[in-house]
Amino acid sequence: MSLKDILSPLRVWERAAQKPWTIKDPINDRPGADNYRGFHKNDFSKCIGCGTCEEICQNDSIDIVPVAGQETVEGDSGLRPMIDYGRCCWCALCVDVCPTGSLTMSNDYTWISDNPEDYRFIPGATETKWQDSEAGYKRSPDMQILNYERVGMSEVEPGERSRSFMEIVKGYNKEQAILEAQRCVECGLCVATCPAHMDIPGYIAAVRDDNLDNALRILYETNPMPEICGRICTHKCETVCALHNNGEPLAIRWLKRYIADQIPSDKYKEILGTEHLTDEKPGRKVAIIGAGPAGLSAGYYLAIMGYKTTIFEALPEPGGMTRYGIPEYRLPYDQIDKDVEYLKSLGVQVQYNTRVGEDVSLEALHGDFDAVFAGTGLHLGRSTRVPGSDHSRVYFATDLLREVTLGQEIDVAENIVVIGGGNVAMDITRTLARLQNKKYGKVQVLATCLEAEEDMPADLEEIIEAREEKALIDPGWGPVNIEIKDGKITGLHVAECLSIFDENGKFNPEFDESSKKFFKADMIVESIGQGMDMSYLSEEIKSKLKFGRGNRVEVTEEFQSDLKWLFVGGDIIEGPDVIHGIANGYRAAKGIDRFLTQK
Amino acid sequence: MEQLIKKINGMIRLRAYKKQRESLHFFTVEEAQLEMILSHLKNYEGFTHLAFLQAVDFIEDGKFQLTYMLYNYETKMNIGVLTLIDREEAETASIHKLWAHAWQYQREIHEMYGIDFPGSPRVKESFVLEGWEEMPPMRRDFDTKEYSERTFYQRPGRSTNDPAEYMKEKLYRNYPQSPAIRRDDE
Amino acid sequence: MSNLSKNKYKGYDADRSKYPETRNGEPVIDLDSHKFTKMWQGPQHPGVTGNMSVEIIVNGDEIVHAQTHVGYLHRGFEKLMERRKYIQCFPLVCRICVPEPDTNEYLVSAAMEELADITVPEKALWLRTLNLEMSRIASYLMWIGGQAGSLGMGTIGQWTVGMRDFWLDLFEEMTGGRVYHMYMVPGGVRKDLPDGFIRKARDLIVRTRKLLRDVENSFLSNAVVKSRLQGLGVITPDMVDEYGIVGPNARSCGKEYDIRLNNPYLKYDELDVKMITSTVGDAFSRAQLRYDDIHQSLDLVSEILKRIPVEGKIQAEMPNLLNWKIPAGQTYVKAESTRGEHGFYMVSDGTDKPRRVFARGASYTHAISVLEKLAQNISLSDLAALMVSLHTCPPEIER
Repeated sequence: MSLKDILSPLRVWERAAQKPWTIKDPINDRPGADNYRGFHKNDFSKCIGCGTCEEICQNDSIDIVPVAGQETVEGDSGLRPMIDYGRCCWCALCVDVCPTGSLTMSNDYTWISDNPEDYRFIPGATETKWQDSEAGYKRSPDMQILNYERVGMSEVEPGERSRSFMEIVKGYNKEQAILEAQRCVECGLCVATCPAHMDIPGYIAAVRDDNLDNALRILYETNPMPEICGRICTHKCETVCALHNNGEPLAIRWLKRYIADQIPSDKYKEILGTEHLTDEKPGRKVAIIGAGPAGLSAGYYLAIMGYKTTIFEALPEPGGMTRYGIPEYRLPYDQIDKDVEYLKSLGVQVQYNTRVGEDVSLEALHGDFDAVFAGTGLHLGRSTRVPGSDHSRVYFATDLLREVTLGQEIDVAENIVVIGGGNVAMDITRTLARLQNKKYGKVQVLATCLEAEEDMPADLEEIIEAREEKALIDPGWGPVNIEIKDGKITGLHVAECLSIFDENGKFNPEFDESSKKFFKADMIVESIGQGMDMSYLSEEIKSKLKFGRGNRVEVTEEFQSDLKWLFVGGDIIEGPDVIHGIANGYRAAKGIDRFLTQK
Repeated sequence: MEQLIKKINGMIRLRAYKKQRESLHFFTVEEAQLEMILSHLKNYEGFTHLAFLQAVDFIEDGKFQLTYMLYNYETKMNIGVLTLIDREEAETASIHKLWAHAWQYQREIHEMYGIDFPGSPRVKESFVLEGWEEMPPMRRDFDTKEYSERTFYQRPGRSTNDPAEYMKEKLYRNYPQSPAIRRDDE
Repeated sequence: MSNLSKNKYKGYDADRSKYPETRNGEPVIDLDSHKFTKMWQGPQHPGVTGNMSVEIIVNGDEIVHAQTHVGYLHRGFEKLMERRKYIQCFPLVCRICVPEPDTNEYLVSAAMEELADITVPEKALWLRTLNLEMSRIASYLMWIGGQAGSLGMGTIGQWTVGMRDFWLDLFEEMTGGRVYHMYMVPGGVRKDLPDGFIRKARDLIVRTRKLLRDVENSFLSNAVVKSRLQGLGVITPDMVDEYGIVGPNARSCGKEYDIRLNNPYLKYDELDVKMITSTVGDAFSRAQLRYDDIHQSLDLVSEILKRIPVEGKIQAEMPNLLNWKIPAGQTYVKAESTRGEHGFYMVSDGTDKPRRVFARGASYTHAISVLEKLAQNISLSDLAALMVSLHTCPPEIER
């Protein structure tokens, strides 16, 4: 210790002359930093009420509550987060996790109220002084809690697949499936959108936990056709997936396929607990017309409920449109058989090559059975009715697809034009491309449709894959006439399509005659929609039924027609797609059960 | 390090050994040999620093794992010496004579897990939980949530909704419930 | 200072071998004899972040027995984490130590990353290092205030805690939070540095150094401080292993143990960290050593600001953290906090929640075993100074 130690402290007197650091008015002069985690904001136009913020909140401070003015619609639960500031710790994990990016924070950090209830508020609905503040914490795009990229699906190379009908999508392996299932936030918004209201978060969680037995049970609760649906479902669920707001939706369809693919068919009975269900059934009898998704689904649930069911199928194999309308490269036939075999093992009888209305009459079925379910589907093609469309080398897509499945020889031309832009049009385009490849070693098929590229009804991946397989797609043209020279088709004249619907919303396409094009062709396929064949309804029965829009039979919520014993469902009522058929079949089965128990 | 492990393995039979990374190794020893091994490591192998001593509850196996984390200033290595003790009669030898701060950990572990270290100073005194009457709280079977719900009260007026259930109620209430066929964990 | 004057004021140099009488190494203290008074110090102390009390028995103004009591801050974080998903642990751990929360954040993320085998991108490593060094500065500034305050020099505390607030301003811009930064998410960090940050940080380093000169003048070169702290609470080298003493407390008596050098983590192996040691081991040498350590941290921050990459990812490819499962395993990760070895021991069991997380705080031994030992035979008025000179942080004792 020295004299210095006594004197040196005195030097800090110079601080007395310094300006103080204190902020005079901290409430107004000191806003939070641009990045400050202050009070919450919620952009209601983006919020979908998925509740992921509630899920991640480790303080349990978020409740998901209904808010006046927020409707519950598909893809938006109508619920909004309410935050209890008595518990919140401003960690901003809710902001980071928000799949839509609607939840953010302002840089405001002062709030005075003498009512403690005020501090439990709904950001976005409650009036706050910071609701329009721009600054504040937002999720950095470089950082993520959720995973917005799908686990890649391996597919057969375009060059290889366009030469054969082998299945394109290879399916997930276990590692990929678990990784993909981990992306799910389990909000359950998809359940409402799925026509069959499958418990999607349930089976995804089971995949994640690698409990496939349970996953299969969950599937069969609402959908007895997992192999079919896992491949060709229109996956409306994925369009409302919470992750879809910020990236790629969860591959729900592929995960469903993964579950069914992993379990061999001989394990089904044991896993699903249906060993006791056998051929011998004492119960009442139900007839089902058509072994398509709707009929099979109805058959399954009726069998589970103890009914003796017989399916009458006009064609030699089961599956309906899934077999005769969808090419094998999308849905291999043995996968249909796998689903159907399990169903048959539960005692469901199927009579093939039996066309109701020809081989057996509906009245006869009514006599022999307690109830009838008709799910006959849309098997007839529709024509454009442009000049020349009555030529023998103008085909319907549905007919051709059926013939391919039946193994019949098709006279494939070298130049083909397909009219239509839906999934069926893509199916026939790609099928013909394969056949051309086989016959000529090259692909010269072109698909054209009224809709512009971005409005094409076909799934995007179908369009991409068709192009990968060298098929041409030239959308936005309306067919004018088919040119025929010397009895042979030479091509299709088209004009640019300006609009498809008139101001009343009716189908009335308008063409620009000055902008025309000619597609060379010696074979033309029309794929502009399908019609139903209701010829099995006799005049007497028809007179007792009511028909609504599009000549569809009017049915109740349970698909019961005015003839109490006749239930109608599937594509001829709703859809067309496989999952509506399955859902219809399920509800009709429930309806039949109720009808027969009350009887 | 390999040499040391070999040497220790010569002295006693190690039940398990794992190299977590270059500077961190774990090995498991028999409970009876623990004190001997620790004092050997401290006195002869240069592992003089006891970073901590803690317990882990493996309730499924009926075992507590005790972890003694040692450090060697010369080789800059951490060794985690693990031992498994019976969960029912949780008791093991005290090492308060080897390190003067070990009693603290032992006291905390006694309070939090109910593991006894006979002879350890003040081991039965409460550490942070004065007046605690429940089971030792760090045991896996102590349910924190249940305790807090029993002891404290929830803020009144809070309720939440499950989006999927809520949407069902709003959009498709009449859709028939399918019979559950789940078993297992449901 | 002559030995004579020391003996006049202090108890510790006198021959205490006979008083109070000991039996089996324990002092015999008969409270009924009216020679002893039992009293409490705490649980509130200026300068100690958090609450802790010392039960002391004095004879006159000399402490003959001290026992630390904790339990005022137990929040059960370790138990809470066992019931939470990994990502939900992240906002919890920073609360284990208020003045220096980032070490906890870093370690819990590092433990998860090690168990899940995730490599953090280069830029995130630099940002984490920056964050840790900044938090060391903030913590030390608060400590100076405590040490000065415990000697009755509250003004110095106001300067340094005021300066700490400017560092918190920087944290606010960088992380979005002032005290609890919640910045180092598993896999990386949450945000890149905002615009203008580096310039602001450089300005602040200059201002801090200026303040530290004032602190040196008024505190370290102060006759009063020296006479109070020199010779107080001497830690001898053989106590270091015995009591598990770490950090500046251990380095002040010559033990070369600084994890940034011994077991480099983050970017410390590329930075020029010096081992700062002393050989005296008393409270004053610890103060001097910490003072030198702040300067080193300021150097490191300017070095890091120069070298931090502009481009680069700030987070590794992560699975959905909401459903993140970590394979079974266990690990112990450690880092140098201002108080010494701070470590996280994590046991995972393959589920989405940790089986066990243990936070090893340096104060655990410093504030209990070591304090109880060093407090014997010192003057009652020096107890606060001793406690702060060990840099105790009660919340990390009971977690």
